[in-house]
Amino acid sequence: MELLAFGDTGYGDELFFGALTTIQLAVFGYVLALALGLVFAVLALKGKGPRWWLFRVYASIFTGVPSLLIIFLFYFGGAELVRSLLAPIGINVRLDVSPFTAGVAALGLVYAAYLGDLIRSAIINVPRGQFEACEALSVPRRHMWLSVVLPQAFRIALPGLVNTWIVLLKDTALVSLAGLNDLIANAKVAAGSTKEPFVFFTAALLFFVVIATVTLPLVNRVARRLERGQRRAEV
Amino acid sequence: MEFARLERHPAVAMAGVDKFYGKYQALRAVDLEIQRGEKLVVCGPSGSGKSTLIRCINALEPHDAGTISVNGIALGRDRASILDVRREAGMVFQQFNLFPHMTILENCTFAPRTSLGMARDKADALAMRYLARVHIADQAQKFPAQLSGGQQQRVAIARALCMEPRIMLFDEPTSALDPEMVGEVLRAIEELTADGMTMVCVTHEMGFARRVADRCLFMDQGEIVEAAPAGDFFDRPKSPRLRAFLAQILK
Amino acid sequence: MRFDPVLAWGSMPALLDGALMTLLVTFTVMAVGGPLGLAVSFARMSRRRPLAWFGAAYVSVCRGAPSLILLYLIYNGLAQLDIVRDGPLWFLFQHAFFCVVIAFSLNHSGYIVEIMRGGMEAVPAGLLEAGASLGLSPRQVLWKIRIPIAIRYGLKAYQNEAMLFMKSTAAVSAVTLTDLTAAANEIFYMTYDPFTPIITAGAIYWVINNAMRIGFGLLERRLNRHLGLA
Ligand SMILES: Nc1ncnc2c1ncn2[C@@H]1O[C@H](COP(=O)(O)OP(=O)(O)OP(=O)(O)O)[C@@H](O)[C@H]1O
Ligand SMILES: [Mg+2]
Repeated sequence: MELLAFGDTGYGDELFFGALTTIQLAVFGYVLALALGLVFAVLALKGKGPRWWLFRVYASIFTGVPSLLIIFLFYFGGAELVRSLLAPIGINVRLDVSPFTAGVAALGLVYAAYLGDLIRSAIINVPRGQFEACEALSVPRRHMWLSVVLPQAFRIALPGLVNTWIVLLKDTALVSLAGLNDLIANAKVAAGSTKEPFVFFTAALLFFVVIATVTLPLVNRVARRLERGQRRAEV
Repeated sequence: MEFARLERHPAVAMAGVDKFYGKYQALRAVDLEIQRGEKLVVCGPSGSGKSTLIRCINALEPHDAGTISVNGIALGRDRASILDVRREAGMVFQQFNLFPHMTILENCTFAPRTSLGMARDKADALAMRYLARVHIADQAQKFPAQLSGGQQQRVAIARALCMEPRIMLFDEPTSALDPEMVGEVLRAIEELTADGMTMVCVTHEMGFARRVADRCLFMDQGEIVEAAPAGDFFDRPKSPRLRAFLAQILK
Repeated sequence: MRFDPVLAWGSMPALLDGALMTLLVTFTVMAVGGPLGLAVSFARMSRRRPLAWFGAAYVSVCRGAPSLILLYLIYNGLAQLDIVRDGPLWFLFQHAFFCVVIAFSLNHSGYIVEIMRGGMEAVPAGLLEAGASLGLSPRQVLWKIRIPIAIRYGLKAYQNEAMLFMKSTAAVSAVTLTDLTAAANEIFYMTYDPFTPIITAGAIYWVINNAMRIGFGLLERRLNRHLGLA
């Protein structure tokens, strides 16, 4: 147990800060994915036309290759990628892409493809009558989306959103392969220098298992409380 | 000015209106004039274009040919005229279409607050007034799913009234209801007719039509086949198609 | 950003070798993890408390943990335990490939348990009663009716899982196995071209991914045709 103690004697603090990095990475990546996914969903809503096709191509690419490969692409090539994207509009930057940034960008872009599909189908599953009622009442577009459609779509998408969060959280482990000092990387260091890999990897494993196991019931409880007396719309 | 517009024009004027869903023609050269304060009941077999007709009046469906004007406002493809027309005409749907995640009160205040920019307390007072008119003010803090179908439909009526339209459109307001709830909703609609509101109602409730309607309209295959006062309409139908239809719903 | 077709072409043999390893891992894990998942799914659905509890814990751990950690745990962690060191299987645990197969099979089978459970529960009770009333034994009802139908129900979910998991095998490079991702990485370190090897490898993954999709589509059509005739 003293192996896991905080301070000089143990590796508790290293694991703790590693876990913080892991959570930070997951949260940033997820928020980015959620924001992009929402934009994609709304742009590609119609299910035909150039915007829909662009999204299909995007989704096909980012769901068709491993996230690890995208992480490497952004880590090795991100700086040049950004430079060549910004050069045409006259901005010249030299930047270093840290593993953390590469990880956030990669996970965000990959899971935006999954979330885009998820949110889009949730919006489509909001009954048509809800849109029509807003139209007939001349509710402005902005309020229709923000107050009527998206809250209901969110409820429909919730299980998928939670599932994606868990999958993304697990994928953060891969960013350690690009040199991020997250939970796994620190566990690996500790394992190497103490020659006690079993202890440290088990600790890291439990971290993920506990979060994954706790998330769904927790979210369900919060959702139930938010919903108070209501049920889903009749179709 | 406003008064003059209303004086000079019928509530709804449709001339030569065609409506297509893809290749399928749902309305064929419909001509229809509805007077201010008139109560009009529309009936006809399933798929005859009744819903399409009233959905064209408030531009939920764009029409493809002909002209529609509502209280003198010509309905074009531009957003401005559509919004103007929708301010004139409120709509009640077969499936209620209440917002399930908002309370009854919020359902009613949502449109006045967002589209008219009404202050909260004013909107609340307005909503409570109309909820009282459909006898459901005591449920204001509940959610739609906690109400019966008949209560939900009365809320939907109050919600439409909160925009203070001059015309109310009802699309089969009672056909999604259990039989024992039909009466309360029809009574609520009937009570509205007292203050001279123009009303178009798609329904097959004959008793209601006889009591309330100034004029009944029979549609078939996208055309208005017959229009007559309720008495003549039900007791002395002229066209064979209407006769066949009445024979069927009376069975 | 620049894509170098000459380098891409020159890298093909190495990348295809890597792709072969990716496929080998994928199919071995499917072959091992499939039956394993099926077996655990019986435990998960068992009426005996300890068995069901074991199944639930198994799913929690195997699905909740990143496969990379499972991999480290088995490849590095087990080596430390004396029972493994002195056991008869030690020579196997020294091989990266063996450890990869075990780690990914644990992960893959965790998903299969839940897919099977979902499928079994979705089989309409009426069908099972119909089977029983025709005089089939409970065992026959299980094997001839419930499981075949559950597999058809679960196929779509299994397809998604299999495709996700094929891509997740990219992590095996962490334990010295040269799969497609590792091959692309090696070429990057030789040439310092960050785009060409990774994009080429990505294209190969994309082809494998979509080949799997098409394969599953054909399988589904076949099963459902059979279902339609039955
Ligand atoms: N959005 C649509 N797309 C394609 N066809 C439609 C659409 N809406 C209605 N139709 C078709 O147009 C015709 C008229 O439909 P409408 O809904 O106006 O009939 P209705 O008289 O209201 O029938 P009901 O009594 O069943 O409500 C029907 O044949 C219907 O199938
Ligand atoms: Mg209709």
